[in-house]
Amino acid sequence: MTSTDPATQSNDEDLTTIVVDQFYPHPPERVWRALTTPELLAQWLMPNDFRAEVGHRFTMRGRPVEATGFSGVVASTVLAVEAPRLLRISWADAEGGNAMQTTVTWTLQAEGAGTRVLLEQAGFDADDAVDQLSRRIMTGGWRSMILARLGEILDDAA
Amino acid sequence: MPRRSRSAPLDRLVGALANPTRRDILDALLEREQTVTELAARFDMARPSVSEHLASLRAGGLVDERTSGRHRYYSVTPGPLQELADWLTPYERFWRGRMRDLGTVLDQLEQDDHPHDDEGRR
Repeated sequence: MTSTDPATQSNDEDLTTIVVDQFYPHPPERVWRALTTPELLAQWLMPNDFRAEVGHRFTMRGRPVEATGFSGVVASTVLAVEAPRLLRISWADAEGGNAMQTTVTWTLQAEGAGTRVLLEQAGFDADDAVDQLSRRIMTGGWRSMILARLGEILDDAA
Repeated sequence: MPRRSRSAPLDRLVGALANPTRRDILDALLEREQTVTELAARFDMARPSVSEHLASLRAGGLVDERTSGRHRYYSVTPGPLQELADWLTPYERFWRGRMRDLGTVLDQLEQDDHPHDDEGRR
C-alpha cells in the first residue's frame, strides 16, 4: 500500500516529520540560488515575497489543497539562513484553515559533481495526525482504498 | 500469490476499519476513553457485541485497553496508524512535486548559464 519511492521516507517512529531526499546534478551554489531567489522560488514553490534574511516574514500563494485543508496561502518566517547549506522557514496556513504550524528545512550537501538536498517538514502534531486520519476514515475518504484492499483479501481467501 | 511481509497486520487493520460500527466506536473513543458499558449504552448495543468489535479493533492495533479498579477503559492508540502513514501522503506528494520542479528550474538555470554548451551536462 505504501509506495517504495526511495526519495521519500516517513520516520517510522514518528508521524510528525516528512523527509524528501533528492540529488541534483548541479553545484550547491546554483541550488542555493534557486532556493533563495524570490523569482526562482516562485517557479518551483509558490509566488512569494521571500527574502533570505532571518526574521523576515513573508507569504506564499498557491492552490488550495482539499486533502489537507490547505487554504492556498502560507504564512512564513525565515528562521535560519546558512549559505549555501541550510535554509529553514516556519510554515503555517495563513488563513488558519488547518491549525498546524510546522518548520521546513532544506539542507544542502555537495556530493560528487552535484548536490544532495534534504527537505524536512517537521512539527506535525501526533494527536492531530490521529485525529485527521481518523476523521478521514470516518468521512469515507479511505472507503475506496479499504474496499479495494478488502476485495484483494477476499479474492485471496477464495 | 506473493504476499508483502507487512500484509498480515495491515489486513487486521483494514479488517477492523471495514466495519461501519467499528468506525463509529473508534470515533466515540477519539472523544475520550470509555468502558464497554458506556459504549453499549451509547450505541444501544449488547455488551458482548461491543466486546467483539473492541476485540477486532485491538487485533487491528487501533485500540488499547487499561484497567483501573474494576473498570476496563478503551482508547485509541496512534501506534499502528503508522502503517497508514499515508495520511501524510498529500504532504509527501506536495513536496516530491516541489522538489521535482526545483530540478526543472535548476536545469533551466544551467541552460541559461551555458547557452552554447552542446555537451549538455545532464
